[in-house]
Amino acid sequence: MQVTETQAEGLKRAYTVVLPAAELDAKAQDRLVELKDKVKINGFRPGKVPVAHLKALYGKSVMAEVIEQAVTEANGKIIEENSLRLALPPKVELPQAEDEVKAVIDGAADLTYTVELEVLPKIELGNFKEISIEKPVAIVADEEVDDTIKRLVDANRPFSAKDGAAATGDRITVDFVGSIDGVPFDGGAGEGVPVVIGSNSFIPGFEDQLVGMSAGEERTINVTFPTNYLSEQLAGKDASFAVKASAVEAPGDLTIDDEFAKSLGLESLDQLKQQVRERIAKEHEGATRQRVKRQLLDALDASHKFDVPPTLVSQEFDGVWQQVQSDLAQQKHTFADEGTSEDEARAEYQRIAERRVRLGLVLAEIGERNNIQVSDDEVTRAVVERARQFPGQEQQVWDYYRRNAQAMASLRAPLFEEKVVDFLLELANVTEKQVTREELYKEEEEKAA
Amino acid sequence: MSPQANIEPRHYDVIRSPVITEKATAQSEENKVVFNVAKTATKPQIKEAVEKLFDVKVKSVNTLVRKGKVKIFKGRKGVQSDVKKAVVTLEEGQRIDITTGL
Repeated sequence: MQVTETQAEGLKRAYTVVLPAAELDAKAQDRLVELKDKVKINGFRPGKVPVAHLKALYGKSVMAEVIEQAVTEANGKIIEENSLRLALPPKVELPQAEDEVKAVIDGAADLTYTVELEVLPKIELGNFKEISIEKPVAIVADEEVDDTIKRLVDANRPFSAKDGAAATGDRITVDFVGSIDGVPFDGGAGEGVPVVIGSNSFIPGFEDQLVGMSAGEERTINVTFPTNYLSEQLAGKDASFAVKASAVEAPGDLTIDDEFAKSLGLESLDQLKQQVRERIAKEHEGATRQRVKRQLLDALDASHKFDVPPTLVSQEFDGVWQQVQSDLAQQKHTFADEGTSEDEARAEYQRIAERRVRLGLVLAEIGERNNIQVSDDEVTRAVVERARQFPGQEQQVWDYYRRNAQAMASLRAPLFEEKVVDFLLELANVTEKQVTREELYKEEEEKAA
Repeated sequence: MSPQANIEPRHYDVIRSPVITEKATAQSEENKVVFNVAKTATKPQIKEAVEKLFDVKVKSVNTLVRKGKVKIFKGRKGVQSDVKKAVVTLEEGQRIDITTGL
C-alpha cells in the first residue's frame, strides 16, 4: 500500500492510495477459501466445491467485497499513522472509468483511489472560571396566580340554558353551512358547534351577526373573509352562512372559591393556588435556565475562535435553511415580509450554522476532557418520558429507540449538552438577579428573534 | 486443428449444456468432459460436434440416458423428460474450459 498526501491545508486532507493487484488477489483467494465450506452450489456436496469453480462463479463479487474491505482498512491505517481526528466519515473516490474498474476486478491492475478527509481542529479550551453570568430569577407574584386562576375559571365557565335572544357573552350552539355565491365550500359546514359570542374565535362579523338569535331560529348571515385568511380560496371572498341555532346559554357566575377548586379535582382553593404557583414557578425556572444557557453559550462562542470544518457547517446550514424555508412557506411569507432580503438571511443563517457547529465541537471537547458521560439509566429515563407522550404506543416507542441507534444518539445529545452546561455553570461565576416576570420573558423573546 | 469454418448449426443443436457436478469436475481431471446432449444424438454426431465446436481431439464418447423422474405437483402426476448424457474422453493434453461461453 502506497500513500501519497496530495493536499493538506486548513482542515482538509487528501490522499492518493495505491493498492497492488497481488495484495488484492491474495485477499480474494483467502476469501474464496473461506466461502468454500459455507456456500451451497447445485451439483456439489457442501464443502466439496473446487476453488477454481467458485472463482469462476463468484470471482467478481468476491473481488468487489475484498476491494471494499481493503479500502476501509487502508483508510484506517492512514488515520492511525497520522493520528487524525475526523470530522466526518472519509469521502472515498474510486476510479470511475469502466474499463479501469473492470481491470481491477479481473486482478490485472492495481487499485488507485483518492480519499478526502476533514479533520477536527485542535481546540484550546479557555478558562471557565472567567465566565461571568447573570442569572435572572423571577418571583411568582400573587397577581399572576390570581390571573391564572381567573383564566382557568373562564375556560371552565358553566353555561346554563336560557330562553330568549343571545347577547354578547352568551354561548350559542349552532349548525351552519357556508356557501360562496350559492355553492357550499369545504370546511364551511359545522354541526353543533358552540360559539361564545364575543370570543372572536370565528372570522370578524360572524359572531356579531349571531346576536339576538334565539334557540331554534334560522338566519342567513353574510360575511367577508379577511384578505389575509389562511385558506387562499376563501380569502377576501364574500360568503353567506345559513345558520341555525339549537341552544342558547348564558354564562354562569364566576366565583373563585373552594367549590370551583373541587370541581377541578382539588381539595380547596388554597391547594389550587399552591399548584398554580408551583406551575408558574417551574415555567419561570425554565425561562431562567434558557437565559443562563444563552449567556453561557455566547461566552463560549466569544472565547473560542477556531476554524470550523466547512462540510459540517454546510450540512448544518442546509438543515437550518430548509427549516426556515418550510416555516415561511407555511406562513405564506416571503423574506420581504420579515424585513430582510434573501441574501441577508442567508448570511445570517450561515453565521448561526457556524456558531452551532463551533459550540457543538466545544461542548463535545469539554465533555471529553472532563469525562462527562450520559449514563444508560438517564437515556432510558428519557425514552420512558418520550413514551409517555404517546399513550398506548409505548411499546412501539421503546422498540423504535432500541433498534435505531441514531434515534438514541439524538436523545443522548441534548442530555449530554445539559450535563456539560451544568458542569460549566458550576465553574463559572453566577450572580443572581431579581427581575420581574415581564423582563424575564421579554428579553427571552428578543434574543430568540 | 480443424478450421472453424466447418461449424454448422446442427452442431450446436447436438450439445445442450455442460454438466457441472462433483463427479463431472472429478472426471475433468481425467480428460473427460460431460455434456447434456440432444436425445436423438448419436455418438459419432457428438464426437464431430465437440471436435468442431471446441477445437479438440476426441478419443471416445460414452452415452447414457437418465430416465425422467415422476413428480407430483399440486396433486397431479407428471413426468420429467429423459436426459442423455455424454461423457467425452479427450486426447491427452486437451482441455475444454467449460465456463467460457460457447
